[in-house]
Amino acid sequence: MSELGATLAAVPQAWFATPIGAIGLTLAAYFLGVHLFKLMRHPSWCPPVIIAALLIAAVIALLPIGIDDYNRGAAWLMLLLGPATVALAVPLYQQLGQIRALWKPIVLTLPLSATLAACYAVLIAWLLGAPPEVLASLAPKSVTSPIALSLTQELGGSTALLMGALMTTGITAIFGVEWLSRWMRIRDPRLIGLALGINGHALGTVRAFEISHQAGAFASLGMSLTGAFTAIVLPLVWHLWA
Amino acid sequence: MSVLRGFLWLLAFLLLGQAIMLWLPIALPAGVIGMLLLTLWFCQRGGMNADVVAVSQPLIAMLALLIMPGVVEIFFVAGRFADQAGAILTALLLGTLASVASSLWLMRRCLPPETPHE
Repeated sequence: MSELGATLAAVPQAWFATPIGAIGLTLAAYFLGVHLFKLMRHPSWCPPVIIAALLIAAVIALLPIGIDDYNRGAAWLMLLLGPATVALAVPLYQQLGQIRALWKPIVLTLPLSATLAACYAVLIAWLLGAPPEVLASLAPKSVTSPIALSLTQELGGSTALLMGALMTTGITAIFGVEWLSRWMRIRDPRLIGLALGINGHALGTVRAFEISHQAGAFASLGMSLTGAFTAIVLPLVWHLWA
Repeated sequence: MSVLRGFLWLLAFLLLGQAIMLWLPIALPAGVIGMLLLTLWFCQRGGMNADVVAVSQPLIAMLALLIMPGVVEIFFVAGRFADQAGAILTALLLGTLASVASSLWLMRRCLPPETPHE
């Protein structure tokens, strides 16, 4: 009996000895997360990614494996972030018509909005005494994850903290845009979409597509441009300032 | 096959981005350089490559899945930042609400009102 127990205990370690265990767990948690999200009637404060990440964390805590075993395998999935970033050229190109038609107001507002999105958080954290590692993890918080991840690594921040910051920012931005646009009596879907994309990256863009196709198109425009602008400007400013 | 050909295009632009990154004086992620180059290439040829479109839709839809392993880690390293939790949460919540407010305000001032036929 104890022999059977020992064999069973060795099973998770065997699973996670190759990347298959981590990839299988991630995919399973993702689909379960999406399913639970539907059952919970799409709560905007709890996107499927959070549910799925909690499920994975629970499985890792329960099984005799560590977060390092999981990360080693899951790195194979995250490798795809590189080509996925390049793939963002497709929505960017699709929005070029819109960009050309509205280039003046966009050129006036987007760089300032994207800069403010990074500055407010860094400034507040700095005033509250956060160390440089935390500031470097918060600065790219409004940028879509593949770009934000490489930015925070470049600046010397913590990837894990950045991911938490991205999630919190996305959820707060969705809540903030819906609340403030009602309060400011803004109903223009282009405006709401842009605000969601600039401040709430991919999570905001997903929400914008739920509002309308036009809002979604402007959100992906806001997201792509904020990502490109921040990727160019942030490392420059950071190294000049540091 | 179209998806695989498209994937090869994405990898080619990613590798090109990595090569250019070595020459650039600024630290731009290789993926971003690849994205900008691919957009320029589409502009230059006056349309998108069908293979790239075929692979980019599923890849972009997978973004949430690809970032999840990174999210998981926060539950295990949160303790390391426990003494900073107040500053971090205040910065994220207040900072995001403030930036949403200023971007909405800025755009309402600068964006021309929508024409009714749109």
